[in-house]
Amino acid sequence: MASCGGGENPDIVAFMKLALEQAKIAFDSLEVPVGCVIVMDGKVISRGRNRTNETRNATRHAEMEAIDVLLDQWKEKKLSKAEVSKMFSKCYLYVTCEPCIMCAGALSFLGIKEVYYGCANDKFGGCGSILSLHTTSCEEVGGKSYKCTGGIMAEEAVSLFRNFYELGNPNAPKPHRQLVQQP
Amino acid sequence: MNKFKDHESWEIIHIPDKPPFPPHQQPTVKVYAAVIDPKHANTLVRKLNHILPLENLRHVKRVRKQQLDGGSTHLSVILCLAGEDDSQLDVVPKEVVELIDSYQLETFITKVCRYAPLSKEEWVEQCKIWPTSFHPPTYNINGITGFSEEESHSVCTFMKLALDLAKSERQMVNAAVIVDPSTNEVIARACDQVYSCSSPINHEVTKNHDNMLLNSSATEEPNLLYDGVSCLYPWGWSNQKSCDSWHPLWHAAIVAIEDSAARDRNLFPGSRHDLAEIDHVQPALTYPSPKKQKTKSTDVNAYEELGSHTNGCPPESSRPYLCTGYDIYLIWEPCAMCAMALVHQRIKRIFYAFPNPNAGALGSVHRLQGEKSLNHHYAVFNVLLPQESLNRGGVTEKPSNVAHGVSL
Ligand SMILES: [Zn+2]
Ligand SMILES: [Zn+2]
Repeated sequence: MASCGGGENPDIVAFMKLALEQAKIAFDSLEVPVGCVIVMDGKVISRGRNRTNETRNATRHAEMEAIDVLLDQWKEKKLSKAEVSKMFSKCYLYVTCEPCIMCAGALSFLGIKEVYYGCANDKFGGCGSILSLHTTSCEEVGGKSYKCTGGIMAEEAVSLFRNFYELGNPNAPKPHRQLVQQP
Repeated sequence: MNKFKDHESWEIIHIPDKPPFPPHQQPTVKVYAAVIDPKHANTLVRKLNHILPLENLRHVKRVRKQQLDGGSTHLSVILCLAGEDDSQLDVVPKEVVELIDSYQLETFITKVCRYAPLSKEEWVEQCKIWPTSFHPPTYNINGITGFSEEESHSVCTFMKLALDLAKSERQMVNAAVIVDPSTNEVIARACDQVYSCSSPINHEVTKNHDNMLLNSSATEEPNLLYDGVSCLYPWGWSNQKSCDSWHPLWHAAIVAIEDSAARDRNLFPGSRHDLAEIDHVQPALTYPSPKKQKTKSTDVNAYEELGSHTNGCPPESSRPYLCTGYDIYLIWEPCAMCAMALVHQRIKRIFYAFPNPNAGALGSVHRLQGEKSLNHHYAVFNVLLPQESLNRGGVTEKPSNVAHGVSL
């Protein structure tokens, strides 16, 4: 935990690089390139990438995928709800793009400790861009906030998006498309 | 807001993009007005409209006609906007001052409503201050301007279905029913599975069992009755006892979306849309195919162009693009997670029965339908249930204040 606390910590960059790796896997699978890792006690315990296309479910964002990996693990270990909740309260999320309103809400419901993200999400962002679900919470019904820090390797995240949308554009140069069709 | 009264006590209310003001507390602006001689009315109004048209107050009528006790008619005309500070007579334009002088008008300051009325109720209240005109909104979403008899009947039917689902669990939960309104086909139905101990596939409604449970729980603390509703208490999942099948984020709407996606995967196995513009960031940069262009557009009726379903062997042309064109029925107003999930999945209309003062994202705490930056917008309706449909389940009053623990 202490290893991810400081703003200058090189671990933050290292974990974001792992999140970017997940985003690249999404890119190669013709998915919107967003990836994330979840870290506890300085160790990566879950990874996720966007799978909206493959699942035809537009809510299967990287964060949701990584959360479900953890829940499966913990339920297999027969952890109680209270224990699972305690586990989430020790988790750090590193995601290449600001969580959308849906994911930002979900992270609050789970009671995650802290979120680091790459680029801002000007259209759907739920951690400051459109809504601030990481801070606004209703204490009287158990609302939870979490610390959120953006701008970690944002350029890398944006350039992945840019490449992806150029690829989807029929007017984009051919080499981009062929590049991705290779396994 | 636009209301439609169904047969007896069903009522479908549109929840607009901007927060409504209570009809009797609408914002006003001050104007200079003057009582005028009816024989000068036409000339004066023509001159005033020429000199100083009320550009930002088009809904406000220039002339007010009042019947006095003695039977005589009293006409007043709006001259111009007044400063909010009463002493600023100097804001009156020179041409208006000339009119005041030549017709020897006695001016007074009065108020008019700042915004055009959104509903008949607002309009009635506005006219008590100064007359305005009311034009019902003309959107291309069915229902905002009212529901046909047939459509309101369907709305009631599907809301009842959702209500039965919600009551079918061991404790009161939220329920979701996704419907294709062009065929009235139920696409998916689900309950909260945040605490669920039952199999996720089993949606059987077992009424006797439920009524027994609900009747017994209705006498207990109301927060015990409703703390199983995930969108109302989204942070409360860890306090519940553990069982085999549960998920802190499986709110009814999220489960229903996954069910509809599974249906899509089953009915149309090989093909897949290249959903390059699925939400994450900057989806507006590109529209790779004509079909996507259509669904990208803000025309929420786009699905209707895709043709209707036939059971058994659906043609590829009937392949849904996510939930484009579909409606969802929910018992409680969804939380931010669920409301945004429904944006992502391109739902066309949302109907819910009870507001969610804890975490509701369609007007109560947030108002996603009014967030202009989102790339998709649905229309939102609150369906007020008649008393009897609640009594049937053993709930004796509308649980509108459940979140604050008001006794039932
Ligand atoms: Zn998201
Ligand atoms: Zn919810």
